[in-house]
Amino acid sequence: MSRPLRRVVLVDDHDLFRAGVRAGLGKTVEIVGEAGSVADAVPLIKGVDPDVVLLDVHLPDGGGHAVIMQVAQERPGVKFLALSVSDAAEDVIAVIRAGARGYVTKAISGQELTEAVHRVADGDAVFSPRLAGFVLDAFRGGEPAADSELDQLTPREREVLQLIARGYRYKEIAARLHLSTRTVESHVSAVLRKLQLSSRHELTRWAAERRLI
Amino acid sequence: MSSFGPLRLPLALPRVERAGDDGVVAGVCAGIARALDVDPTFVRLVFAMLAFASGAGIVAYTGVWAILPAPGDAPPKRARLIAGTLLVVWAAILALRGLGLSDSLVWPLALVAAGVVLLSGRTFGLDEKRARLAALSLIVVGAVVFIGNNTRGTASTLLAPGAVAVAMLLVLGPWAWRLAREREAERAARIRTEERADFAARVHDSVLQTLTLIQKDPADARRLARRQERELRAWLYPDRAATAEGTLADAVETAAAEIEELHGVRVEVVRTGDAPLDERGQALVLAAREAMANAARHSGVDEVSVFLDAGDGAISLYVRDRGSGFDPDAVAADRRGLAESIRGRMERVNGTARIVSAPGQGTDVELELR
Repeated sequence: MSRPLRRVVLVDDHDLFRAGVRAGLGKTVEIVGEAGSVADAVPLIKGVDPDVVLLDVHLPDGGGHAVIMQVAQERPGVKFLALSVSDAAEDVIAVIRAGARGYVTKAISGQELTEAVHRVADGDAVFSPRLAGFVLDAFRGGEPAADSELDQLTPREREVLQLIARGYRYKEIAARLHLSTRTVESHVSAVLRKLQLSSRHELTRWAAERRLI
Repeated sequence: MSSFGPLRLPLALPRVERAGDDGVVAGVCAGIARALDVDPTFVRLVFAMLAFASGAGIVAYTGVWAILPAPGDAPPKRARLIAGTLLVVWAAILALRGLGLSDSLVWPLALVAAGVVLLSGRTFGLDEKRARLAALSLIVVGAVVFIGNNTRGTASTLLAPGAVAVAMLLVLGPWAWRLAREREAERAARIRTEERADFAARVHDSVLQTLTLIQKDPADARRLARRQERELRAWLYPDRAATAEGTLADAVETAAAEIEELHGVRVEVVRTGDAPLDERGQALVLAAREAMANAARHSGVDEVSVFLDAGDGAISLYVRDRGSGFDPDAVAADRRGLAESIRGRMERVNGTARIVSAPGQGTDVELELR
């Protein structure tokens, strides 16, 4: 498969982890810059204007969402993919609400991470099983104010998320549900949009816990 | 200074400096007005009116001019500060007399005021202890003079205790407030220290021990690291770990941890919702554990995904691996794992078990309770 070379900035305060990512990423991804803090990352990203930023949720001088909020206005073309070892919903939802196109755990393999970078660069969303679990939790049940399309998942979206939570990849989901991979991707993107814009209580609370609203 | 810098009294003023540009005389009024965010004309009017009280306004102006730094400058020298302050006090006395208050009231008031100023942290270069001592002496002398002056009249005898009480409040109030703030800060610091000690102990008992074990026997590193990760997560994110004793989700997590320990694979558990662990739930967990063990033993991959979806009356549990897979129909009837431990167990509690697999396709075990 021939894929365009993607330029990536890596933002993480752990040298060891950055070295691991550098070694694990495939040839179709080029690391054009690295930073270990919000203060270093913001000018770097504005300067090199990468396709994708791999962004640690936790940084010493503020969360990953702080980077997104300071860059997104000026560089709307830059896509963010959040990386974390954290299992706390409020951390993960906070970066997503700030504008990240996806979330993966740091235990991800180099090959899968490369795949995720391309997916995000193409404008699609990347959901880890755990993120899918958070979303299903957040959209569980009907809320009184659930008349908005943004506050509900469609049955199909729910189905797709459940398969992601079970450990399925997009291609496998497509095969199982007799859909095209493209359709699965658009379902996931729709869920990402809801995740970012919905006013459901769980989401706003998780985001508020990181002072994001 | 550093120890009480941030704990300054509420009396401490914002930084005021003379206005260099738009002042009429020396920028004193404009500077004060800027600091208070009012119209300079108003401040000038106050000074002008005070000037009619035996010239208090002029004296005060000179005093304030001496005290305030020029724009952007360092604060003035100590001698200048003291001279300025004396002028301001003199102006205050003039003004109070101009208002018709008798000397017997004005002088003690001035002494007490000087004491309060000293206590407020403007120590004029004295160290804190001495400043406090000087302040207290000034206030006591003020009070004594006041009482001495006023014990003759009958009305004043009634007034005196009240005045003393007010003076005490003025003096001791801020001081007590600061003391309380300091105590609060100390308490916070102590709690932080205790937390750090607790954290250090925790890290020592767990992380450092594990690292030592890994150095002794690197072959076991993976298993040890995974167990350590699990423990650390449970401690750092207690809301995701054991919420209450013995829920279904906890039992699934525990089973996953056991499989990781036994087989050295990674079992990733995702869960939404939870349910109490009843008899049927226990059967479900045991079936799932068997499915995880099968995946660990036979799939040939080192990662197993588990998803528990509990809610709305139904509980689903999925165990998936991306390994070698097998043909479920071709499995020998004597393989008790699938038939008995998974299917039989689920059927006995009115649940269902579905196994989807094919060679090279990985394996999906879907367990459901309704």
